[in-house]
Amino acid sequence: MEIEKVKERIMEGRPGFTRQYGPSRTDHQPGIPFFPQEATRDFVVIFFLTAIMFFLSAFVTPFLGPPRSPQVSELAVPDWYLLFSWGLLKIADIFPVFTIGAGTPLQTEFSAVFWGDILSGIPIIALLLLPFLDRGREARPAKAPIRSAVGLAGIMAIFTSSLYSIREVVWERWTTPNGQPLIDDTAMKWFFVIPPVLVGLASYVALRRLGFKPMRKWLVSMTLVAFLIVAGQSLAILFVPGWLGPEVQPYWVQLALFLFILSAAAGASALAVLVLPESRARRAVHITGIVTFLAFVGATLYLQSAEPKAFDWILSVLEPNTNTLLLLPGFAVVTAWFGLRRPYSTYEYLLNECYQCGKCHTVCPVTKVEDDALGGLNLVYNSFKKQHDGVPLWTCLACDACSAVCPLDIKYSDYILEERSKAHARSAADGGEVE
Amino acid sequence: MMETEYGPGRTIPHPILFRVLDGEADDTTVPEIKVEHTSEYAYYPGCVDYYDMEMQFSHVNYGDTNHGIIFDSSIKLLRAVGIEPMILDRSFMKCCGHDQLWQGKVDVFERMRDYNAKIIKMLGIKTLVTSCAEGYRTFKLDYKLPGVRVVHITQILYERGLRIPPQGHTAKKIRVAYQDPCRSCRQMPVDPVYEEPRELIKRVDNAELVELKTFRADAQCCGVAQMMYCNDKTKGLTRMRMDEADEVGADFLLTACPKCLTHFGCLHHENKWKPGEERQQYRVMDITQFLAERLPGEYPSGGNVDTKRAEPPLPGRKGGW
Repeated sequence: MEIEKVKERIMEGRPGFTRQYGPSRTDHQPGIPFFPQEATRDFVVIFFLTAIMFFLSAFVTPFLGPPRSPQVSELAVPDWYLLFSWGLLKIADIFPVFTIGAGTPLQTEFSAVFWGDILSGIPIIALLLLPFLDRGREARPAKAPIRSAVGLAGIMAIFTSSLYSIREVVWERWTTPNGQPLIDDTAMKWFFVIPPVLVGLASYVALRRLGFKPMRKWLVSMTLVAFLIVAGQSLAILFVPGWLGPEVQPYWVQLALFLFILSAAAGASALAVLVLPESRARRAVHITGIVTFLAFVGATLYLQSAEPKAFDWILSVLEPNTNTLLLLPGFAVVTAWFGLRRPYSTYEYLLNECYQCGKCHTVCPVTKVEDDALGGLNLVYNSFKKQHDGVPLWTCLACDACSAVCPLDIKYSDYILEERSKAHARSAADGGEVE
Repeated sequence: MMETEYGPGRTIPHPILFRVLDGEADDTTVPEIKVEHTSEYAYYPGCVDYYDMEMQFSHVNYGDTNHGIIFDSSIKLLRAVGIEPMILDRSFMKCCGHDQLWQGKVDVFERMRDYNAKIIKMLGIKTLVTSCAEGYRTFKLDYKLPGVRVVHITQILYERGLRIPPQGHTAKKIRVAYQDPCRSCRQMPVDPVYEEPRELIKRVDNAELVELKTFRADAQCCGVAQMMYCNDKTKGLTRMRMDEADEVGADFLLTACPKCLTHFGCLHHENKWKPGEERQQYRVMDITQFLAERLPGEYPSGGNVDTKRAEPPLPGRKGGW
């Protein structure tokens, strides 16, 4: 039944709101989709640019200089903006190498080169497919949370991929006190994957929350899993015999302190999300983040100055486990903080869609009788700018004549409702209104 | 203090009505519920009796505006389509809370909502009929009533096929204008009440439906919302709306919202008593009263209607207050 859908859209028990302000808004989708409406023009532009490039390469050939000699350097590094592609080629060795149909004309070799090509092609293919996969019409990040989260994860993946491409430099630069590479290849490979995933999840939660969605269920599962992983690995490192090398054993207590700080951060966030009501949970997570950061920096500084040798060995335990021990507590705190954040107020979220067409002014009944409202007036725009010229809060009839003509379906009465309840709360806090 | 740009004149005046209604909300004990007739259909009269009282306290209703008759007419019409509704009496129900919500008193509204929703669930109501546009919107959207169908009275009358008998050859031809209340029309994302009142008016054979200058979704507001203030500006708006009815030469100006009726009736009365006033020589009434007057048969008695009364209540002060 349709009224049930409308009721589902009334958010978080706030009475009066009939419209969904967020990604799942279905009543009206402003704008036009990219495909096929925009495709013709874009193909023209693409072909035109290609033609220019062909023309330039054929007739105005630049001088490129002699090819680079492989003897110049052992490590031939591409330009920085191509490192991510190089990283994708390098990580291709995780895939199995085999051959299909050997001896037949259809022989296909799934070599590391093949997998590398596939991996390098994935970003291009994804960009090509994007207009076909994403048929939504919303351009604002908070209204298209999946797209925005995938995009942010992709940007993070460019960084981690670039970092993986220079793994030899990392091995050379960070070593254990023994002279071994500190972070082994497996940990580097995981570091390629884990941060983009975490960034994607965190931005998804944050953006959905921005669009007035309750995100507590997501937070409970994610912060809890993060805490269990961190705590489990910390306990394993500390108590499973043979996990710690004999060189690190003397610094057990200091190591335990660091692991406790990290586990406590994830644990406190998870507990706050599980137990506390929303407003207090947000503050608790806030405090947890600050306290953890200060404790971690304080312990690091103290240990670095007091026992530099112990610090080096502790780092040699923590850094190979960056993916879990260092990233997950931060992820738990940041995600919980984002997910419990108070969303934008209605008018900040929706009124800024206004493009000042002024239709609301022409139909507003109040402007017809208010002397000081004659002249230029745009209800929605001026409210967004916090200039209620002529139609202050208490003169509005909430008759929604403005919403009926609004091309973007901005519901002005929702703003009135919210502001009036705020004003009433303020007046109640001041001891009630004057009789 | 509330900060407004226009001084204290534009803040909420807090008449006695809202003191009474807000005070009601604090007491959430459920009194003894006396229902004459249990039914799946329930009729919620809302604040119509309170309006009459308020209008009389403020000495504006010496005219022919009659709020109390909305209740009687609604029951008569519902009986005419074969529904004997359970009357959600003011003795155990509270105000629906629309005005409190739109005045910013969300806490008061939530108390009323929770109480009323509890009673409605307790009585096992399947269909809730309201004769008030604001009540329709509030029960339908702002309440959480799972399994309860909320309808405006015009909707259920149209759905059940209300038949108005021929008025006879002697009946004068009348032109009827209908004012669309904001709450039941523009503000409803689903089931807005546009067609049903118009269809019902067309069923009266001597009535010709005329549309005002602005109608349906573009209809101008009656001038006052949620009983917030009454001043020359709001009266100007009401006047503009009533002049539109004058322009189309209406004999009746109907509305489906008691608030619109209150404000139209107030200005109508004022103008009528001005010497030499030629305009607005038409009648202002609720659509239920208009339809019920054209149905044969007695007005019902029962519920919160005076049982000894055979005639419908007289308007204004003369009604027996």
